[in-house]
Amino acid sequence: MTDADFRREDRRDRGGRNRGHHNNRKRRHQVGTDEDDYDGPRKHHRPYVEPTIAKLRRELLSIADSAVKLPEDEARDIARLLGDNFEEDELSTEFFNTFIQLVVEQPFKIPFAAAIIFYANDSKPEVATEALNRTAERMQQVLNAGQWKEFKLLLRFFACLQSLFEGDGVFTILQQLFDSAVDLQSANENDVVGLELVKIILLTLPYAMVSGGSRLQAQVSELLQKTDIVASMRLPIESLVQSYSGHSEEKPPPYHSVIGLLQEQLQDEEKTGWKFSCIPRFSRPVPRNLDGETLPSAPTMHPFPTITIPSPVNPGPKPLFPEAYFSLYADQEVESVPGTNNIASLLFRDAIVDTIDQLDFNRTAVGKFLIDLDCYWQTETFVKRGTAFDKLRDVADKSTWKPEDVVVDAVFSQIFKLPNPEHKLVYYHSLITETCKIAPAAIAPSLGRAIRFVFKYVDDMDLELVNRFVDWFSHHLSNFEFRWKWAEWMDDLNRSDLHPKKAFLITALDKEIRLSFAKRIRSTLPEEYHVLISEGKDKDKPDFKYDDDATPFAAEGKTLFTQIRKKAPDADIQETINTIHTKAAEQGIGDVLVPSTDALVTSICCVGSKSLSHVLSCINHSKDRLLSISQNSEAARRQIVASVVGYWKDQPGVAVNIVDKLLNFSILAPITVVQWALCDHLGAGEALTEGWVFEMVSNTVTKVTNRMRQIALARLQKGIQQEQIIMVEETLTKERESMRELFNVIKDSVKAVAEGAADTLIEKSGSGELSAEDAELIRAWGKRWYTVFVRKAQVEESVVGEEAVEARLRLLSAEAEPAAEPMHEGNGVAAEAANGDDEML
Amino acid sequence: MAPIRNTVDRLDRPSSYAASKNRRRKHNRDGDEDRRERSPELDEKLKDATTLYVGNLSFYTTEEQIHELFAKCGEIKRLVMGLDRFQKTPCGFCFVEYYTHQDALDCMKYIGGTKLDERIIRTDLDEGFAEGRQYGRGKSGGQVRDEYRREYDPGRGGYGRALDEDTEGDMYR
Repeated sequence: MTDADFRREDRRDRGGRNRGHHNNRKRRHQVGTDEDDYDGPRKHHRPYVEPTIAKLRRELLSIADSAVKLPEDEARDIARLLGDNFEEDELSTEFFNTFIQLVVEQPFKIPFAAAIIFYANDSKPEVATEALNRTAERMQQVLNAGQWKEFKLLLRFFACLQSLFEGDGVFTILQQLFDSAVDLQSANENDVVGLELVKIILLTLPYAMVSGGSRLQAQVSELLQKTDIVASMRLPIESLVQSYSGHSEEKPPPYHSVIGLLQEQLQDEEKTGWKFSCIPRFSRPVPRNLDGETLPSAPTMHPFPTITIPSPVNPGPKPLFPEAYFSLYADQEVESVPGTNNIASLLFRDAIVDTIDQLDFNRTAVGKFLIDLDCYWQTETFVKRGTAFDKLRDVADKSTWKPEDVVVDAVFSQIFKLPNPEHKLVYYHSLITETCKIAPAAIAPSLGRAIRFVFKYVDDMDLELVNRFVDWFSHHLSNFEFRWKWAEWMDDLNRSDLHPKKAFLITALDKEIRLSFAKRIRSTLPEEYHVLISEGKDKDKPDFKYDDDATPFAAEGKTLFTQIRKKAPDADIQETINTIHTKAAEQGIGDVLVPSTDALVTSICCVGSKSLSHVLSCINHSKDRLLSISQNSEAARRQIVASVVGYWKDQPGVAVNIVDKLLNFSILAPITVVQWALCDHLGAGEALTEGWVFEMVSNTVTKVTNRMRQIALARLQKGIQQEQIIMVEETLTKERESMRELFNVIKDSVKAVAEGAADTLIEKSGSGELSAEDAELIRAWGKRWYTVFVRKAQVEESVVGEEAVEARLRLLSAEAEPAAEPMHEGNGVAAEAANGDDEML
Repeated sequence: MAPIRNTVDRLDRPSSYAASKNRRRKHNRDGDEDRRERSPELDEKLKDATTLYVGNLSFYTTEEQIHELFAKCGEIKRLVMGLDRFQKTPCGFCFVEYYTHQDALDCMKYIGGTKLDERIIRTDLDEGFAEGRQYGRGKSGGQVRDEYRREYDPGRGGYGRALDEDTEGDMYR
């Protein structure tokens, strides 16, 4: 039954009741409690009068949301209501709290929020004074805390009010910011905080120009000349954030840094007369007195609030990296998104990404804002919503920018952000799902084109990004009945399994199955794809190899299985293991622990095959035995991984999980997992094409780096005691060394493949077992792996390396000095930090 | 310091169900003293909650599937399947425990209301799993919610079981 039916039924029941009881819970509730209430109070119901304070909040928060009301009128109404009630302290406090929160949470609305103050200033300049003071207070706090996003947004609000400022207005602070950036840059060639400051300057200029008008042009040109040196420079660290390697036949889009593009775009704007036509504009009201006569008075002007940029600048809670501009649709034949030469591309991108980041706690609201994108920019900026891509060619003399493409482009730029996404990737997954739910007909085709685009360049894309993409793709399809036009990739099925496109298909299907089950996924695919799903994937319980008497130690394997299942005493299990050892020694096997470990771990996997909880409890039961094995023999240690993966070869996702848990038990060390994956299992390098191998290695690395960051964080605690410092430093040094060793094992191994120097690769290509073509494919995989792990290693060095930690410590001691600002009450900086991602590193 | 009110609702708050469950409990206990104490206690309990209740699962959804989805929000410490009290088979809910409170909040924000095994699942912050809690509380041994369900749901054992028993008679009396 649908909701609508329920409602209809409810209403009918209220009118003529006792027409037979329906057995639903609501109904039964009503009989007992609501019967008398229903008709009673409703008769005397007085019309509800919304308190002014609530009305103001509601109208403020919904400004520009409506497609039928003019935001300008809304702004005037709010300004009037606010002006009339401004003297009520509680009301104005509440209003400005909401107002500032709106500025930092809903960036699309900053120009409209500024319009309210702009209009309010005409009748009551005190309102504007109050708004400026309160915003400045918050701005100083976020600046001191290095919260750059919030700082940028508050600054944008000021920029939108540029016409109300005496003197240079917002340019005063832009100039100061630039000076700080220069100081930072000259101190460190890889400084990214200075870059961030310049980016903020460049993103503020357009808004200030639209508000301030032509009197600023000379200053802007001067500022742009200065920023050019910083913005057009290429930092060594920038190589870390490039999305494509640029080796393949299909030429992927070239790399652009956000800051470099901004600089070029603004210089272009300078030549064409500063149009910024996408930014919303507001007409200057003609002030009138009560009799309707126009008054000649100019608006009251305000001094720009005093903001102090701290020295040294607080780099903020998160490590910063240069930012690449990633676009799926840019610079194509038909312009469905603004080209990379157009400032609109970065104005949209910046506002959309900030909306996504700031409101991650309500993806439904974000989805709605994104679908309504065209409400928040100057009219005619976009083509009509939902216009099909094919129809863009027919649009004459108007914008062909598709709001859906602009949105999808922005969300993907976040999924593909290097080195790390701002939020957990699953946020972007569910956000895309949300936009699809709100406007399926508009979004789905854009998404389809996005998927095709990525697939086309998948050979050349950074390997980490490919893995993010396949993870999104499979998860996304799982939310939409696994529907995809698989037929169009049919030709790629004929490729070698070593080809990146084929590898993508194999991994994608495996991931789909992990979220669902093999039979279901098979039913969603053309038959040609069925070969990619082995029969083994249908089995809930994989075969136990010792059931086959041809398997060495079959009898002992079976005995072990029974003993483990029945939780036999340790001595009995040891006896079976001893038998294996004796036999193995007779056969001349060097490390007898290897076959016994294989039998033990395979048996544990099989007994625990029902679920992850089952296998965990089995592992827990044999924990001491497993621990002692891994302490005694390197080969046996690696055999643990081999046996888990061997047992679950058809469902490698389960193996990845079990290995992960074995790391938690410390039965396995991270280096063991990596050595098994990239030495024992490497083969000629075929392992590098397997999605789950990448997953296993990168999960292991993440586990190590997370721990590393936690230790560094412990060192950076304020007020830590001297003896603690010594202890933490010791751990830090030790763990740092093992982290570096781990990275080196990975790098050495994949580098050998990349250079064609790995033994098995040479052997197999020499013997003709591998074609020259396949060998070339494998070497390319080696290069891609290498790029990923070199980057990861560098990123970690920039966070937990000696230099990085020392730099943080210096800042910490600078902060401890009296320069610290007194905390103002009621501003919520601390409360916000407690809510969000407050990791220090 | 008064916490800042966000401009849109947050999805990482406990649902009205968690709150109402708490209210019901208060109601049964009666006495105003009790009432005054309980509510902050709930807030206090959920303040650092790392566990989520997950509902509306198919009876056939496996631990592995749940793990695959929920690990996208962080490493899972423990996963406890909800079982039918009598048959000891999954009855459509589970508890997922993370290592950190933030992961649990992120799960509310990013996973609650999305699909797993082609069903929209519900997540709610939970005060924590205690031994014995993994069983359904309905008369039939499954979840109460299921007993009163009116739609046929093949993923959750067909029609609600209570419908054919007690309430059915009620209707025609």
